[in-house]
Amino acid sequence: MSEKKNNQVSRRQFLNYTLTGVGGFMGAAVVAPMVGMAVDPLLQADGSDDFEYVMDVDEITTEPQRKTFYIDQQDGWYDTEAERAAWIYRDENGDILALSPICTHLGCVVDWETGDHDNEFFCPCHYGRYDKNGVNIPGTPPEGPLHAYEYRIEDGRLYLGRANPREGA
Amino acid sequence: MKWMHQDVQNYTKAKEYIDSAIMPLIPFSFQGDDELSQLAYQHEVMQILMTQIEKQLKGRVFLLPVYNYLKQNKLEDEYERLETVVNHVNEQPFKHIFLFTFDKKWRKYSSKIDAELIWLPAPQQGDLNQVETQQLVQSQVSEIEDLIKEQWDE
Ligand code: FES
Repeated sequence: MSEKKNNQVSRRQFLNYTLTGVGGFMGAAVVAPMVGMAVDPLLQADGSDDFEYVMDVDEITTEPQRKTFYIDQQDGWYDTEAERAAWIYRDENGDILALSPICTHLGCVVDWETGDHDNEFFCPCHYGRYDKNGVNIPGTPPEGPLHAYEYRIEDGRLYLGRANPREGA
Repeated sequence: MKWMHQDVQNYTKAKEYIDSAIMPLIPFSFQGDDELSQLAYQHEVMQILMTQIEKQLKGRVFLLPVYNYLKQNKLEDEYERLETVVNHVNEQPFKHIFLFTFDKKWRKYSSKIDAELIWLPAPQQGDLNQVETQQLVQSQVSEIEDLIKEQWDE
């Protein structure tokens, strides 16, 4: 049921990539002068305290699985839904990891085990590589590990919050 | 990267990594209502394709502003204007320039122009709310992505 919901991308979400661009631009132009006028809610952008359901905990395996979810983004004037993706799995200690697929070098989307890159995340843009824990492999362009999402578990369901940088290799 | 303030700041700091420019060629025309709706639909699909590609390959690809032209214009004249744009972009320098179009008429210029001209079959008008239509567009995104990566690997 919930899985199904994830797949049914609404038009609004689908076109969101385009709209985020416009929204971001308008936001930047308009919000900046207003901040000085003490408009407090505008400062709490990007809904950082929201957690979204992504999958059930018992579906999590040691093999990374890619999940997408949508967050409401408050952009000053616009409320938009933005798509987020995560690679979710248990590491060798059994701890849950939910990694952002955005390459820490310049922002391309990394993939798990593409081509002959076994047991690694690989970035097609400048051939950045990350080990299974998402830690950047020295000698490749990325200078930090893939960001990790904050998560919560409630009733066997995994919820993700915002993605934060981690300590480097 | 997009043609936007923040992205352009990043671009100027990392030019050596962002070596590929992409630009959609989009015709418009108010001649005939049928064609109007067809062209508008193609425009919408093209915009989605381009934003998706930019999102996937953000760190190496620069999405240029749309190249717009009147559908009924003589293509010879249009070609000259496009060539000026392409030459300008080439001087930046960008190592790869990809032009995307649904307009068949450009095909005869593909060997002439100093860029990779990629002609995509025009999509049938559909409902972008429909999951099937979205999947179609999504599969086209993956194909374009592969095509770009192939050029990189050469
Ligand atoms: S953007 Fe990933 S290696 Fe450069």
